[in-house]
Amino acid sequence: MPTGEQVKARGYFTRTLEGRDVLFDDEGFLVNPEDWTEELAEALARSSGIAELTELHWRVLRFMRNYYVQNGRAPLNREIRTETGESIMEIERVFPGGIRGGARRLAGLPNPKSC
Amino acid sequence: MSRIPRIVYLDNAATSFPKPRAVLDEMMDTYSRLGVSPGRGSYDLAAECEKYVYEVRRRVNDFFRGDRPERVVFFHNSTDALNTAILGLASPGSHVVSSRLEHNSVLRPLHHLRDRGLISFDLVPFDGRGFIDPDDVARAIKPATSFVVLNHVSNVLGTIQPVSDVGRMCAEREVPFILDVSQSAGVVPIDMRTMQVSAVAFTGHKSLMGPTGIGGLVLRDGVDPKPLRFGGTGFESWSPVHPENYPYRLEAGTLNVLGIIGLNAGLRYVTQRGLGAIHEHEMSLLHALRDRLTSLDAVLLYCAENLHNHVALLTCNIRDLDPDDFSAILDGDFNVATRSGLHCAPLVHEDLGTSPRGSVRFSFGPLNSLDDASAAANAVAAIAGLRSQ
Repeated sequence: MPTGEQVKARGYFTRTLEGRDVLFDDEGFLVNPEDWTEELAEALARSSGIAELTELHWRVLRFMRNYYVQNGRAPLNREIRTETGESIMEIERVFPGGIRGGARRLAGLPNPKSC
Repeated sequence: MSRIPRIVYLDNAATSFPKPRAVLDEMMDTYSRLGVSPGRGSYDLAAECEKYVYEVRRRVNDFFRGDRPERVVFFHNSTDALNTAILGLASPGSHVVSSRLEHNSVLRPLHHLRDRGLISFDLVPFDGRGFIDPDDVARAIKPATSFVVLNHVSNVLGTIQPVSDVGRMCAEREVPFILDVSQSAGVVPIDMRTMQVSAVAFTGHKSLMGPTGIGGLVLRDGVDPKPLRFGGTGFESWSPVHPENYPYRLEAGTLNVLGIIGLNAGLRYVTQRGLGAIHEHEMSLLHALRDRLTSLDAVLLYCAENLHNHVALLTCNIRDLDPDDFSAILDGDFNVATRSGLHCAPLVHEDLGTSPRGSVRFSFGPLNSLDDASAAANAVAAIAGLRSQ
């Protein structure tokens, strides 16, 4: 479970999750995507209000994560839809924070920093 | 590779897509025949290419009603042209007047100069309908004001600004007036003489229907930005000093001939179809979309109550839905392409109260149809409906 936060420069902060210090950016995205583990995702999910990740949550998170590791970027919208078999709208609904601030963040992908 | 489904493309304010087939065909055909270095060398084809480029300068000059073709200077895009105009006209101690509607293509050069202690500037506000007040511009002008720079049409709100009034006030005060016509050229008539505009910065790839990578400045007589780049011009190679005469004064290096051909073809396309007809067509689509979205409780529209003096773009949000996610749902579930975020115009969103996440922008082009507007409206209705359950 998360413990006290340590605020750093540029809005970055560390939280102790699953027994280790993890660095986040000002919007709660992992600064170092390689820090991600499934246990970390569960901890982040709990702190965002998901008591237990469902099969759909895991299907989305594992697809996004694996895609990112293999391709070095986030999947396209239509790839998420096709590969998870679920609509973007439904995925947005089941993740508090939606696609960007929910699914993507819990999957440990970098902050897209859209302009 | 998976097949890409047909999308309803409503991001024409970013770049028009697809381009008319006639534009693409003309680019391929003319570049195949003429794509050499214009004016460099003594062979006939180089001279013919230079003549062609001059003809495009003449067409651009006529289109904007500038003073002479030589004062049409090609750049990569509006941002490139605006950087040249702003950095080239500013000098230490200059004061500049602009507005809170501006794109970063104006704001960032201004901040760059101010952060180095070279200039100061004032930004006039816009009202609740998305328009600046020309009197605010007049009041902001000081003895030290070097120029006024404004966008003709807001890329976030679609509002056509009262630039003729601004032009008159600038002319009365003998202050050059630079107009960013990125969102208006090709859909709103621009007459630099009657509007009393000193310089227009345009891009070819939006409503002018050309490719990316070509744009420019049209400068009235007496408006002479300092050159920011120096290099080859195709003549006077013996001289270590870059020539002073236009257009070479501001152009260095081989021109984007393919882009210039595309710009020419795009200009022909919009001129033949007619700016009035294009605007009327696009606005009919905007009205259809706006009217549907107005009926949806969960949808927040910005400055779209009255579409008089508008181009066909609409900015909105759905309550409690992140704009990036809104746009992702439109794309992934409905094949509707829109632009989310701050649209490179952060001050507009600050004043709308939509910072830092921004909004979703729908923007129509001449190749969109009523079916596209209906598809977008149906998609937004479905998203809004599900969220209000």
